Amino acid sequence: MITVALAKGRLAQESAALLKECGVDADVVFSDTRKLVLESSDGQFSFFLVKPSDVPTYVEYGIADIGIVGKDTLMEEDKDLYEMLDLKFEKCKLCVAGFPEMKKQLTSSHLRVATKYVHTAKKLYAARGEDIEIITLHGSIELAPVTGLADVIFDIVQTGSTLKANGLAVLEEVYDISARLVANKVSLKTKADVLLPLIEKMRERV
Amino acid sequence: MKIKNYYRLPSGVQDLLPDECYNLNLIEQKLAKKFSLSGCTQVQSAGLELYDTYAEIKNKIPQKKMFKLTDSDGSLLVLRPDMTLAVARMAATRLDDVPSKLCYFSSVWQYPQTGGLSIREIYQAGVEFLGVSNPFSDAQGIAFAIECLEEIGVKDFIVDIGHVGFFKGILEDCALNEECVEQVRLLINAKDSVGAQALLLQQGAFESAVNALAALPTLFGGVEVLSRAQKYTTNQTALSALSHLKQVYELLKSFGLEKYISFDLGTVKDLSYYSGVVFTGLTKSLGSPILSGGRYDNLSDDFGKHVPAVGFAMGLKRILITLERQGSLLPVPPVDVAIVSEPDAEALAYQTYQTLTAQGKRVNLFTGDHARMQSLKEQGITLLLASKEGVKEI
Repeated sequence: MITVALAKGRLAQESAALLKECGVDADVVFSDTRKLVLESSDGQFSFFLVKPSDVPTYVEYGIADIGIVGKDTLMEEDKDLYEMLDLKFEKCKLCVAGFPEMKKQLTSSHLRVATKYVHTAKKLYAARGEDIEIITLHGSIELAPVTGLADVIFDIVQTGSTLKANGLAVLEEVYDISARLVANKVSLKTKADVLLPLIEKMRERV
Repeated sequence: MKIKNYYRLPSGVQDLLPDECYNLNLIEQKLAKKFSLSGCTQVQSAGLELYDTYAEIKNKIPQKKMFKLTDSDGSLLVLRPDMTLAVARMAATRLDDVPSKLCYFSSVWQYPQTGGLSIREIYQAGVEFLGVSNPFSDAQGIAFAIECLEEIGVKDFIVDIGHVGFFKGILEDCALNEECVEQVRLLINAKDSVGAQALLLQQGAFESAVNALAALPTLFGGVEVLSRAQKYTTNQTALSALSHLKQVYELLKSFGLEKYISFDLGTVKDLSYYSGVVFTGLTKSLGSPILSGGRYDNLSDDFGKHVPAVGFAMGLKRILITLERQGSLLPVPPVDVAIVSEPDAEALAYQTYQTLTAQGKRVNLFTGDHARMQSLKEQGITLLLASKEGVKEI
């Protein structure tokens, strides 16, 4: 039996559609149920629908053999696993955004960066040798520069319409984001007979 | 009210209670016998060492990973972070006649690198085969790893083999700086072809080398991987790594062990530490490796003597979890005999206890506690009552 961790929501639907194309009996993912573990009718696959940020955890511990989740989540969670494929859907960019012209300030302070990608932002600015102050937020990140809570935001941008509506702009596109297929390091070897042909089929389709 | 929690443990360390400890002891006994039968002699190294031992050498352990303490004179100490380095240090500096095989049962302490799997005190059993560097000694090391896992009853396992020379060779052709090499290694180790390719192109590496590196994460599976890999490179270091692996495989096959073997050329463990073959023991029952090892011919050079070596360590906690999931752990068995002593019959009871233990029986001794008897009887323990009239079974 192969266990698959999927990120709840649209990503799970798209992932299940791709798995179906590759011959996996993934219909159960589309069913309207409150069950947490969904078993395919042929008994070959078992799916967990979890919060996106929990997908890498389930895969790292080997509770799920494979998982499908966004690259942004993978960078933020930074787990020890194999990143097998770029599935090329759910594309967006992880950007630094703010007012096109930053207001000149006389009092110097650290750049204040509002984000929910705390770990990724810390790593990015540390690699650049810049001291910043991270302001952790969990939603409506764009509000931070508008209200003066932060100088810039570090967040995913899909269409940019929210930024525009609030007078903000993308200052730097840092990472290309898309859905990725990840695998547990041991399962890939010990369940290679099922996983390798499946990954090959997925590779052909993306 | 203040919550009393001074008796809790810090995170990442554990007590072993009787049932778990009993099973750990069984594993240790089996391994100790196996090690001894194959000519290994056991060593123990100091748990506290000088920080410089691990910081001044070429194969440094990252400062962030070590538990550090300050000595009374102000010098910096560490809790032993790695057994292979400790054995290499002993072999190079303390042993004149390097015996060919050493083994150990010891703990190492490291801060975990990533978020999950947060055990910080790791109890290992391991061996180091010293002094010889050739395909036969590599095959012998891998064969012994298989023997050990079989001996302790692990089911459904494979040993996944790679060779750092293949990756090193391809990198030679890329002419990258050291920092970039480390970044590429991390990406390949995570099988992230996309990331590795992007980085290499950005660094202006040759297309042939980029293609070879991008293929690395796919170069795993059966022995056919070796011939598949050959097509990607003309580099001598990389090709000789492949032919070395082929020789090791032929030897393992001649030992009848090929069913346990798989290959992964994309396993690129720490490059300065390992110099040749690397291998990992994997089982379906656990999402992380239960055994890890490889060849490190240059590790002892920093300690003043060249001692080539191949070795491996098993994480005994992970093996316990594996055995539990495979249904192979046992409860602690009760004692064979319980002696209950009446008042004034203690001397007789003690004498009986001595006689029985000398016969190899496991014996518990009580005084007067009749209430306990029924439950002992239910566990199938032979009950003896010692009184002024003598000893009789009840």
